[in-house]
Amino acid sequence: MNGILKNKKAFLVFLLPALVFYLVSVFYPIAESIRFSFIKWGGLGPKQFVGLQNYVHLFKDKIFYTAFWNNLGYLVIVVGMQILIGLLLAVLLTYLTKGVTLIKTLYYVPCIITAVAVTQLFRSMYATQPEGIINQLLKAIGLGQFATSWLTNVKTVLVCVSIPEGWRYTGMYMVIFYAALISLDPEVCEAARIDGANGWQTLIRVKLPMIKEVMLLTLTMVLTGALRGFDIPFVLTNGGPGNVSELMSTYMYKKAFAGNQFGYGSTIAVFIIIESILVVCVLKVLFTGKDEREERRIQKEQRRMRRKGK
Amino acid sequence: MKKKTLKIILVVTVLLFLFIQLYPVVWLFLASIKPSTELATRPFALPKEPTFQNYIDIFKEGSVFRYMWNSLKVTVISIIFIVALSSTAGFALSKFRFRITKPIYAFFTFGIMIPVQITLIPLFCFYSKMGILNSSFTLILPQVGFALPLSVMMFVSFYSFVPNELIEAAVMDGCSTYGIFFKVVFPLARNTVITVGSMYCILIWNDFIFANTFITDNKAKTVALGLRDYVGAFGNVNWGMTFAAIAVTILPPMLVYFALNKYVTAGMTMGATKG
Repeated sequence: MNGILKNKKAFLVFLLPALVFYLVSVFYPIAESIRFSFIKWGGLGPKQFVGLQNYVHLFKDKIFYTAFWNNLGYLVIVVGMQILIGLLLAVLLTYLTKGVTLIKTLYYVPCIITAVAVTQLFRSMYATQPEGIINQLLKAIGLGQFATSWLTNVKTVLVCVSIPEGWRYTGMYMVIFYAALISLDPEVCEAARIDGANGWQTLIRVKLPMIKEVMLLTLTMVLTGALRGFDIPFVLTNGGPGNVSELMSTYMYKKAFAGNQFGYGSTIAVFIIIESILVVCVLKVLFTGKDEREERRIQKEQRRMRRKGK
Repeated sequence: MKKKTLKIILVVTVLLFLFIQLYPVVWLFLASIKPSTELATRPFALPKEPTFQNYIDIFKEGSVFRYMWNSLKVTVISIIFIVALSSTAGFALSKFRFRITKPIYAFFTFGIMIPVQITLIPLFCFYSKMGILNSSFTLILPQVGFALPLSVMMFVSFYSFVPNELIEAAVMDGCSTYGIFFKVVFPLARNTVITVGSMYCILIWNDFIFANTFITDNKAKTVALGLRDYVGAFGNVNWGMTFAAIAVTILPPMLVYFALNKYVTAGMTMGATKG
């Protein structure tokens, strides 16, 4: 980012349209959301400033806690499928010699299907009337007693709304991990092998630490994605039966657009955004090793010294 | 010997997962050409008497075309805006020598973390106050806004490969700053334009959350909303018609994907690899 042009007017002409658009469409609504989270408003009539009352209410709201814990469960399943299976497949693919491009292309297909279509697909698989594929398969292999009405069974519904989301993006994360693994310097792995490391050790001790950056970024994407998970759970069960599969964003949506509690809905939205930012920060700290932190501190110190010297 | 067994296990595992990934999609297409009775009795089997009745039904009913037209409108206009705004902003942020470029770039990239849900309530209130709910504009505004962080990032990272010497030479030849962008830099960015365009084409076509919030009128419904209506709109869930409608509406993004495969994956994985 070391440009050479210095025409101030041209700079503004190029930058301002995008910047203004970005401010109006993304940052103005965020500011409004934060403001709304302190008011009570049913969509019509005057807005009533209530201070922290919405937040107090939030932490007393039982359904919100259900949604929060459900969201964690959803997150674990989605992260498990996308990161673990994605990584496993990427590692396996690195050992393949033929057809990798084709396999990659095909694995990716679910990502380009709209969430509603994915949901309808899974809905028909979970269905009982007419009998969906999953129940038929269970009966066919003699496990008929496990066949259940997946989406109305309180014990299975949360898992059932999580799986489609995990399934959908596994291929994408595989492609990301594969790209990272394939770009590693083969000499390093060779060196590890010469030093007596077997394939497994090379993978765990050498390759995975080397793609740490990519790991951090994909984890950030998956975690923040799962915290805001909405489309599939909303279309599939809309939090039901009751609130058994409620997630935070479906709850927010319900409160705001079905319950007309725009203030309280905004409070939940603000909670989601704070939570996402916290997760990103925690991940960054976790992934920044002790050495790196030390290094960065020294760099900062040096920079300050230099500035003083000037 | 041991190596060979390992290799076989490897190939089998990869193929097994490939099957899991693709089976629902293939099944969808097969189901869409099955008559309803067959769908109920033997959903796994290959269609015995393939029929295009489901397709004829949805074409006759006709709303699928309206959904697709609405989605197309939103997608095309959004992409034009995304490319125009991010290619210019990227140029400003990477080829100008001002101290402010770095913080502004950071400000743009910060947007990647922001969940779209936070904007729904304020935008909804704003739109209903202005009386413009159900218009394409309601979708285009947030789509473009939320696309900007990543697309600006992609243009900036491409422009960083355009050598400054090239720009210096153009300046020497008497080219104005605007001329440099339109005649030198932007034409070079063809691949980035295709990447950004194809990726957002798929993402915007598939959008559900904005459409579901801002569109209620049947006339303005986009594909994602329309697909929901096949369930329930015909009394019972008409799976045959639903599958046919899904198959028709996922065809455009599929075509874009298979035609521009490399660009789409590059775009979608960019967010993770470039940071």
